[in-house]
Amino acid sequence: MIAARSAPEVAAVRAADRTPEARGVARDRVRLLASSATGDADRSFADLPELLEPGDLLVVNESATLAASLPAEGPFGRFRLHLSTRYGPDLWLAEPRWSGARPGPLPIPDGLRFRVAGVRATAVARFPGIPRLAFLRFDGDLEAAMARDGAPIRYGYFAEDAPLAAYQTVFATVPGSAEMPSAARPFTPRLVRRLVRRGIRFARVVLHAGVSSLEDGDDVTGAPPILPEPFEVPEATCRAIREVRGSCGRVIAVGTTVVRALESAFHGGEVRPSRGFTRRYVSPAQPVRSVDGLVTGWHAAGTTHLALLRGLAGEGIVRRSYARARELGYLWHEFGDSQLLLPGSGRPARGAGAYFALERPARARSAW
Amino acid sequence: MTGRRRLAVVTGASRGLGAAIARLLARERYDLLLTAREPRALQAIATELRGMGGCVATRSGDVADPRHRRAVAAAVRGRGRLDLLVNNASELGPAPLPPLVDYPLPALEHVLRVNAVAPLALVQELADPLAAGRGLVVNITSDAASGAYPGWGGYGASKAALELLSRTLARELAGRRISVVSVDPGDLRTAMHQAAFPGQDISDRPTPEVTIPFWGWLLHQDRTAISGQRFRAQADRWELPA
Repeated sequence: MIAARSAPEVAAVRAADRTPEARGVARDRVRLLASSATGDADRSFADLPELLEPGDLLVVNESATLAASLPAEGPFGRFRLHLSTRYGPDLWLAEPRWSGARPGPLPIPDGLRFRVAGVRATAVARFPGIPRLAFLRFDGDLEAAMARDGAPIRYGYFAEDAPLAAYQTVFATVPGSAEMPSAARPFTPRLVRRLVRRGIRFARVVLHAGVSSLEDGDDVTGAPPILPEPFEVPEATCRAIREVRGSCGRVIAVGTTVVRALESAFHGGEVRPSRGFTRRYVSPAQPVRSVDGLVTGWHAAGTTHLALLRGLAGEGIVRRSYARARELGYLWHEFGDSQLLLPGSGRPARGAGAYFALERPARARSAW
Repeated sequence: MTGRRRLAVVTGASRGLGAAIARLLARERYDLLLTAREPRALQAIATELRGMGGCVATRSGDVADPRHRRAVAAAVRGRGRLDLLVNNASELGPAPLPPLVDYPLPALEHVLRVNAVAPLALVQELADPLAAGRGLVVNITSDAASGAYPGWGGYGASKAALELLSRTLARELAGRRISVVSVDPGDLRTAMHQAAFPGQDISDRPTPEVTIPFWGWLLHQDRTAISGQRFRAQADRWELPA
């Protein structure tokens, strides 16, 4: 994901520099702004069951966060290696950094050999357009190295040395994300039980999020704005989506990773079983067709996340709700507060009765 | 890591996409047999890649020439097993690209020979070592194979033929555990692309290195799972069959 270019509004937001637990807030008690076409309501994440309707479907990302930040040593000294995406048994896309707070590029020419947490690594190739990212080949057990010496990736604005468990969501079962799929972080077993009792259904996808720390100066012109990331949308999820659509429920993605996975699996008018790598970019120019709503965090200006929100909800709702969240002192970033975006609700029925009022305008707009 | 080093054959490897693929394969520790028509350019890339520590052999010649193909096959047979064959060498045809109604037929036959017959002939020559290595054949194709773009009819017809050969070979060779895919690399800033647009500025096209992430992905997929597929290296997703 592309990071903010120092936009003026970035300074105005409050970043969560610690976990909610360290702030004295339970995971499921972070603030939640419920945003629809008609307005924004300042609620708690624990209110989610009442904000949804029986028959709604929440689609969650099962990707678990890796201890992807590893100590490394090259001919120029010690540095930090952030693993981003696994391409093969021994091949990773990774970001060598001077430290968590200090990005590269580091002097690592193709072919250079160095050590990462005791494992031998060889630089294979630069990522096109983003020379700070390199494909690396490892000779050794990187999973053992992560278990032994790895730490979750942490950037400069986050002050707490939180354990890997703080970076896992309740749905995390498939290790592979360099950065936490953070939208689902506030879900707790207790909240999931309340949602299920309310008649909310769950379905799963996997999308392993790579590093998001593209910085000023990256040449992204002509390069895709999102790195290729592994994803899988299983048949059971497609079936659940079909059933929910058939009964007028809403499909609500938990996180932008889920939207990108579902959009990547959207063929011929519906979500189909799909797996591979995706760098699908969702924006107003390529709007969302697969979901009706989104549970997400608060994203920095200029990011691809924000473009996705505009592609889902439209410029007006995003602008209005972001202004409201700033006024209310919401906390930004992956350990901050949340938003429930249901752009299609709150609209007046358009002449065809309640049944069709539940059909989203975006579906009517799509090609089929 | 111990064990046998893998062997890859890349045709048209002296420049452009073929050189970019060869570079990645060398870093991925493949031994290489590289071919191209121009011996000097071929030697230059081989010298560069030998600096990476691998074994790099060359055979200069035209893939449309049966003697050249036999020389390639003889070199591979010495190793016994072939892991990867990249049929990258391609012939654009006359430039500027003539409309079909004016297309010189000898030139069309040459385009078909280089782009469709020669890749099949190499698969025929190398089938045994490919089977021994559970090899993957990558045939480089183009969106011209289906685009019906004016001027691209000759080149496009050759690539359409190549894609059907690929899909059929994938089925026919599944029992011998040889996998076959087509890859459309997308528009690239290469000598061939420049020849198709003489006098035009093509600097807005990306260099062949833009396809490196795709090759990194493709080479680590389960080969039997991808066999018969067509991929677009610059697409926003690389999908495995359901």
